[in-house]
Amino acid sequence: MTQSKNHADKATIFCRDENRVDWHNKALWTLREKRDRAAASVPEWEDLRQLGSELKLHTLANLSHYLVEFEKNCQANGIHVHWAKDAAEHNQIALSILAKHQVKKLVKSKSMLTEECHLNPYLEKHGIEVIDTDLGERIIQLNNQPPSHIVVPAIHMKKEEVGDLFHEKLHTPKGESDPTRLTRAARAHLREQFLSADAAMTGVNMAIADIGAVVVCTNEGNADMGANLPKLQLHSMGIDKVIPSADSAMVLMRMLARNATGQPSTTYSSFYKGAKPGGEMHVIIVDNGRSDIMQDKILAESLKCIRCGGCLNTCPVYRRSGGYSYNYTIPGPIGIAVGAKHDETNSIPWACTLCGSCSYVCPTKVPLDKIIAHHRRLKAQQRTLPFGKSSYMPLVGKLMSSPTAFNCAMGSARIALRVLPHSLIKPFSGAWGKYRELPVAPKSSFDTWYKQNKANKSEAK
Amino acid sequence: MKIALFIPCLVNQMMPDVAIATLSLLEKLGHEVIFPEGQTCCGQPMTNSGCFDEAKNTTLKLLNAFKGVECEAIVCPAASCLVAAKENFHEFDDSPEAKEVIDKLYELTEFLHDISPIPRFKYPFNHTVSLQMSCHGLRMLSLATPSESMGQQFNKVEAVLQGIEGINIVYPDRRDECCGFGGTFAVDEGAVSAKMGKDKAQAHAATNAQYVVGFDPSCLLHLDGMIRRQLLLIQTRHIAQIIDAAL
Repeated sequence: MTQSKNHADKATIFCRDENRVDWHNKALWTLREKRDRAAASVPEWEDLRQLGSELKLHTLANLSHYLVEFEKNCQANGIHVHWAKDAAEHNQIALSILAKHQVKKLVKSKSMLTEECHLNPYLEKHGIEVIDTDLGERIIQLNNQPPSHIVVPAIHMKKEEVGDLFHEKLHTPKGESDPTRLTRAARAHLREQFLSADAAMTGVNMAIADIGAVVVCTNEGNADMGANLPKLQLHSMGIDKVIPSADSAMVLMRMLARNATGQPSTTYSSFYKGAKPGGEMHVIIVDNGRSDIMQDKILAESLKCIRCGGCLNTCPVYRRSGGYSYNYTIPGPIGIAVGAKHDETNSIPWACTLCGSCSYVCPTKVPLDKIIAHHRRLKAQQRTLPFGKSSYMPLVGKLMSSPTAFNCAMGSARIALRVLPHSLIKPFSGAWGKYRELPVAPKSSFDTWYKQNKANKSEAK
Repeated sequence: MKIALFIPCLVNQMMPDVAIATLSLLEKLGHEVIFPEGQTCCGQPMTNSGCFDEAKNTTLKLLNAFKGVECEAIVCPAASCLVAAKENFHEFDDSPEAKEVIDKLYELTEFLHDISPIPRFKYPFNHTVSLQMSCHGLRMLSLATPSESMGQQFNKVEAVLQGIEGINIVYPDRRDECCGFGGTFAVDEGAVSAKMGKDKAQAHAATNAQYVVGFDPSCLLHLDGMIRRQLLLIQTRHIAQIIDAAL
């Protein structure tokens, strides 16, 4: 593992294979283009975003009320509700339910939260086989990797690589890279898993307070295969997933799939409001740092996120540095927003140009660029700036605040740029000169030009 | 109208031609233009890095250069610096004098579109220009509708340039994707910044335009470095230079 490496180091490694960067960049940009077309097809799109933002803010502002209402209505529906303050508690609760039913094999679907809690290794350590059943998730699970994207988790792998992996693990013919045939092989393999599983676990897209139901949106129907086959079904959700009503779910569901992949809606959008006959349904409600995030007014807005992944697809940095450069389970802009404090290298808030595209693409108007900038300020206040910045920023501050010193330095720089051969200056110009030609320096500053050409005239006035 | 020029440090030091063109075009439009002394950096490199303590002195020096200056507008030919100045002035000084300065701040395109439209241009500009819709001007100053937005569409940059006879305005593929400059991002995240710049420069060149025209000098400086490194057949120009040449 290269856990200690900062984002820039990891991105530099990713960038070495320019063909792969171009391919990754294009694959994700295609999703952004599909999203643009889907959003444009809804005339009231911007009003929906505003509504989505307001209803999430409203719920967050009255979170305890809606969580309690959700719990009460779930219980009335016969659903067992559990509360977990952190990842460890979540994993213990999940294990205790599974142990009680002597579960040997668990099929899982759609949950970044269980990734966040590192549930799989925990359950495996306790003798439970865990099978991720979303195709992308299954691919990376077989490849022993975490997701590199929250909606398309295996987006970093080319079809030929998936073919090689399936040949090794699922015994598909060598050299097979046709997506349809690979998907069929995966489907056959997954059917066996569903039929032999003792329990199913899914994430939750929305938890509806007034009817006590959870909503799970998938394109492959695998969450439903899981939830409907074995007797025992578990659903894990962050406290931020609760919303007031089915009506509010409709608002968010109109945007979720459109903003993620450009589909009008996910192929399967299932509402679970009770166990199947003779079965048991459990919901685990997890905090794991979310109430801390809510203490900071700016960071709190990150909890409006509905995990469509639109910000990842539009992010020019994510597309060119890959999901594994972010040092957190969730990459991209939203990953920085909710993961910055978990990044030991303190570098991910700087993996961003503050271009703001993510904030405009977001269906619930999470002000991602403002949150990321705020994280930088928090890091500076806590004196946890990445190494380079802490060494040069105070100097830059001093230099810039003194016009004399700054003019003097820039004057010398201009002379150097004009007089010295660029091959001599380049090594001193850092990353700028490594990748770009140095600027053509003008003879003088505007200041000087103005004094020579204009100042007298304005003084006369 | 009496206008005070706000010339950010980068323009002052590295792109004086942009400042000269701004001054010249405003004078051609009949405005009285002054250049208050003592201007320095807006503090953006520091605040964007989270270092607000380090930014304070710089920002306040710039703000003081404008306090009490008699003028109706303060115009800046650099969108990103203008946005940063506005935000930083607010952050560090909430006095009525500061508010007076903040209320007069305009980016050049914004000023020419909202406050003092150009009645007519004198000379044609018979070239194709590929517009560089830089992020801060676009998404923080609302100079045009960002491509992510589905609401009412508008484009102040095009509206200002459209009056020039012969000009052919085009856009690169992914019309407003960030060019990758991002201030200190260009240095801290060199590899990604360079790849973004390379892609953007190529997208502009692929339009077969003669010029990349933008309202943010820092993005243009970065793109210029990428264009020359790749020997692309396109040149960067600031919008002030195009307008000044046509007046």
